[in-house]
Amino acid sequence: MTRSAAWTADRVSAAMQGLGTGESVAANRVRVSVPAARVLEALARTRDRLRCDHLIQIATVDTGTTFELHYHLTGAHRGIVSIRVELPRDAPRIRSAHGILPPAALYERQIHDLFGIEFEGHPDLRRLILNEDWPESEYPLRKDWVMDPGKSYGGAAKEVG
Amino acid sequence: MAEIVVPIGPQHPALKEPVNFRVIADGETIVRLELDISYNHRGIEKAAETRDFVHAVPLLERICGICSHSHTTAFVQGIEEAMRVRVPPRARYIRTAVAELERLHSHLLWLGVAAHEIGFNTLFMWTWRDREVVQDLLEAISGNRVNYGVNEVGGVRVDVPERVVARAMKDLSFLGRRIERYGTLVREEPTTLVRFRGVGRLTPDAALALGTVGPTARASGVPYDVRKDDPYAAYDDIPFRVVTQTAGDVFARTLVRIGEMAESVGIVRRSLLDLPGGPLKVTSPRVAPRAEILSRYEAPRGELVHFIRTNNTDKVERLDVRTPTLANWTSVVSSLRGHPLADLPVVVAAIDPCLSCTSRIAIARPDGTGTTSMTWDELRDHGKRYYRATEGL
Repeated sequence: MTRSAAWTADRVSAAMQGLGTGESVAANRVRVSVPAARVLEALARTRDRLRCDHLIQIATVDTGTTFELHYHLTGAHRGIVSIRVELPRDAPRIRSAHGILPPAALYERQIHDLFGIEFEGHPDLRRLILNEDWPESEYPLRKDWVMDPGKSYGGAAKEVG
Repeated sequence: MAEIVVPIGPQHPALKEPVNFRVIADGETIVRLELDISYNHRGIEKAAETRDFVHAVPLLERICGICSHSHTTAFVQGIEEAMRVRVPPRARYIRTAVAELERLHSHLLWLGVAAHEIGFNTLFMWTWRDREVVQDLLEAISGNRVNYGVNEVGGVRVDVPERVVARAMKDLSFLGRRIERYGTLVREEPTTLVRFRGVGRLTPDAALALGTVGPTARASGVPYDVRKDDPYAAYDDIPFRVVTQTAGDVFARTLVRIGEMAESVGIVRRSLLDLPGGPLKVTSPRVAPRAEILSRYEAPRGELVHFIRTNNTDKVERLDVRTPTLANWTSVVSSLRGHPLADLPVVVAAIDPCLSCTSRIAIARPDGTGTTSMTWDELRDHGKRYYRATEGL
């Protein structure tokens, strides 16, 4: 059903030399795992060398041991390049990609809200998705998050009036 | 004049989802827009992790009341890819027909809302009346007008018998004529010309850089359309045109949506006339092997993405949904800069946000003596008065 990949795994590997190796994960998608410290370089190369001009999504996964971020990009060639990074769960920090890809700003703000990942250099990491009276430092999409019955998660108290 | 902050939102009973804008305005001119969409988080992604694939589908159908079929299709296609299940052709065609009917009802609804925002209520009444024809047809197919419940992993749950196909052909002819009429009308009517043309303009470069999707992108000449780029269901078999415009303003977005409706009528007709025989579904396994799927879908508002991680169980390990409206927000914030406050309702409406906004707007007096309140209705009226005074509409 899907069309052949615009970029082969080899082509992506060549563009990402020194950062990671391309791995074909679907007919039209190549994934590269890169060190988190060099994510901006990988994204800039994806944009410039692989001509990806559209950031589809920054998907986030909590594996239980690490956080994974998957930056899915595409371009006029219609192939998809996924840049994958892993972040330690105890101190999840990564540089913000908004300078290279402006739409990243909003996606990162959402991820910060729900997973508690810090994006360094982000212009505005205020709350976006969770309600304003949601307690600080509670990140509901983390696998180990459980609701604390002693805390208020927003809304009116049970016994009003 | 000093800058003033105009908070708009977050509640509005007439629209679907709440949002809060803080509009920073210098007199009538918008300087900056800040966004808070924190009012409607329901934790559906988290809830999906606790339900097996059978139970997740009706949950995901309820992410959105308008693109309900979009979300279930994106999800079941992702799970089918993970399970390596081949869906029968008849199911692929029925999914396509329902998807395009959904696009028709969504775009008709949008055209009505956009007309309402500029005070053109005749067009609003007409489009919503015609939308009933689409809703009735969806009901004839699925038994439901909103959450159709058509999809399941492995195929579809409803058949489209001959009798319904015959009725659909009549309805589609009627809709085709109406859509043609709207195409002429918006190009001739002074209200739409003055209020839509040149408003909320996005250049092709900006549309790309800001990550816009769907009709918003295509109105700026960016021809991304997942139905062509990464075909699913029956889109590889059915000819259709990706409608684009170059002006990038609200008028272009209107023409793109009207053009897309004409294409959708053609796609529904083709998919029902060519409906292949055979079964509606295949039996799929209960569990999905370990897989990572990026499932993309062209929803009425643009590219919808479900990133799915499966893990040898009957549940998803992770479902990450990126909706088209989130992708388009960045462009709204940017394209309103420098525009008069009077254009805010229609520029916000022009991306067809799947949200709802604003019960009140509080206007801070520049001298800091306090705030006054204004409803979204009053803001809309302000827009009408502004254009009556400046353009004689």
